[in-house]
Amino acid sequence: MPPGLTAAARWTAGALGVALMAFGTYVLLTDAHIHDPQDVVLWLAGAIAVHDGVLAPLVLAVGLALGVVVRPAPSRWIVRGALMVAGCLTLVALPNLLPPGRPTNITVLPLDYLTNWLLLLAIIIVFTATVLAVLNRRPRRPRSAKTATRCPSADRPTPPAP
Amino acid sequence: MLGRLLGIAFAICFLTGLISHYLQHPPGWLVDALPARPVWGYRLTQGLHVATGVAAIPLLLAKLWTVYPRLFAWPPMRSMAHGLERAAVAVLVAGAVFEPATGLLNSVQWYPWPFPFIQVHWAVAWLVIGALLLHVAAKGPQIAAHWRRRSPGTEALPAEDLPDRRALLVGVGVAVGAVTVTTVGQSVTPLGRVALLAPRSPQHGPQGLPINRTAAAAGMSGFTGQGWRLALAGPRPYELSLDELRALPQYDAELPISCVEGWSKSARWTGVRVRDLLDRLDAPRRSGLRVISMERQGSYRVTEMSHTYADDPLTLLALRLNGEVLSLDHGFPARIIAPNRPGVLQTKWVSRLEVL
Repeated sequence: MPPGLTAAARWTAGALGVALMAFGTYVLLTDAHIHDPQDVVLWLAGAIAVHDGVLAPLVLAVGLALGVVVRPAPSRWIVRGALMVAGCLTLVALPNLLPPGRPTNITVLPLDYLTNWLLLLAIIIVFTATVLAVLNRRPRRPRSAKTATRCPSADRPTPPAP
Repeated sequence: MLGRLLGIAFAICFLTGLISHYLQHPPGWLVDALPARPVWGYRLTQGLHVATGVAAIPLLLAKLWTVYPRLFAWPPMRSMAHGLERAAVAVLVAGAVFEPATGLLNSVQWYPWPFPFIQVHWAVAWLVIGALLLHVAAKGPQIAAHWRRRSPGTEALPAEDLPDRRALLVGVGVAVGAVTVTTVGQSVTPLGRVALLAPRSPQHGPQGLPINRTAAAAGMSGFTGQGWRLALAGPRPYELSLDELRALPQYDAELPISCVEGWSKSARWTGVRVRDLLDRLDAPRRSGLRVISMERQGSYRVTEMSHTYADDPLTLLALRLNGEVLSLDHGFPARIIAPNRPGVLQTKWVSRLEVL
């Protein structure tokens, strides 16, 4: 695409973006059901605070610890993946586990979510442990030329995750 | 890669959200254009809305993790344009966290905030999609530089990190699969048994169907149907008792209840065609219909449907569900069931129909 056209497309997309944001702001400020738009701003700021101030530092700390505790790269990747899956499942499970009081509607949250969540974590632990055991027991076979070019540093520890 | 997938996910959520919003709150010019087909339309779009929102959670967290160091860029503002761009990113991040979080809590009917969910989820969706467009416009050159495997930006990345990046993407992919498989069964009924974390389960509910609003919540507890009559208003008004309604020709329709919270399930409904009731009123074809419920309170006590639904042979005033008389929670003695329509508009405990 010629540079002039690209610049025009970027300006158009940007202007459209600003217009859509303006419409969202207009709804927030004028909708009769939204009595206090400040509450919404506060919760939006809270969303950033919870992610950037709590969740992200927590994940980084776990990542650093992981880099120290589990050194060889393939094992570290497996453990990292398992923690990511477990973490995401936990986030999705939290709204089911935390609501105060019992719902009056028995078809909302009808399952035993604590048991189900623990069951999922148990499955992840067993699966991860099995994979790690298989990985670390068998002496590594000489790799074919194809895998060697695809994964040049598969057995070299990579620097700890940032 | 993450950014592109996340962009697609946000676009799907936004478009399906638009569909849901306009099905529930159509502006005047759109009312008569809302289609009653396909029967499963809203089931698909709203199921997709919630499933995509859930699947976006691992993508979003991974994306934010990769860009987290830039939060501490120094100097924090290089120019006016840079400052504005960062402000737009702040709106994008705030909204991108806010929307899935409020959506998830809405699906368990838990509202810990002081504002109404529907209107705010709707307004913030516009903020997010606008901020996303602005972000894509601002980052256009960088996105282009990394678009393909052989793009200059991708080639410039350190080669020794490649397996690590791939392993991370695989992890994100597995996480997306895990959160999807454990929740999507609330609308994809065959996966109901593995929906270990879904707030709704197709197996749980009286007469084989979950409920959005119970009789107790609607102030209908203890209603026995004693003295109930259906009032019909139009060119030639009349009333029907429950026995008279049961004596009219009955039809079966296999239609889903599809809720805005993402769950849906198909059921077999039996009742009187709404169009037959309108014919007895001498209401002309292409008439709209107002449906009034006996429930004491609730923002959906009175609903309206366009002729596209009212004239449809599948639109019933249902008296039976899966072969049994409607339970009170499902809207005894009579409820509306129509194709391609949000669950909140399938009015229960109907007492009056008015031709518009």
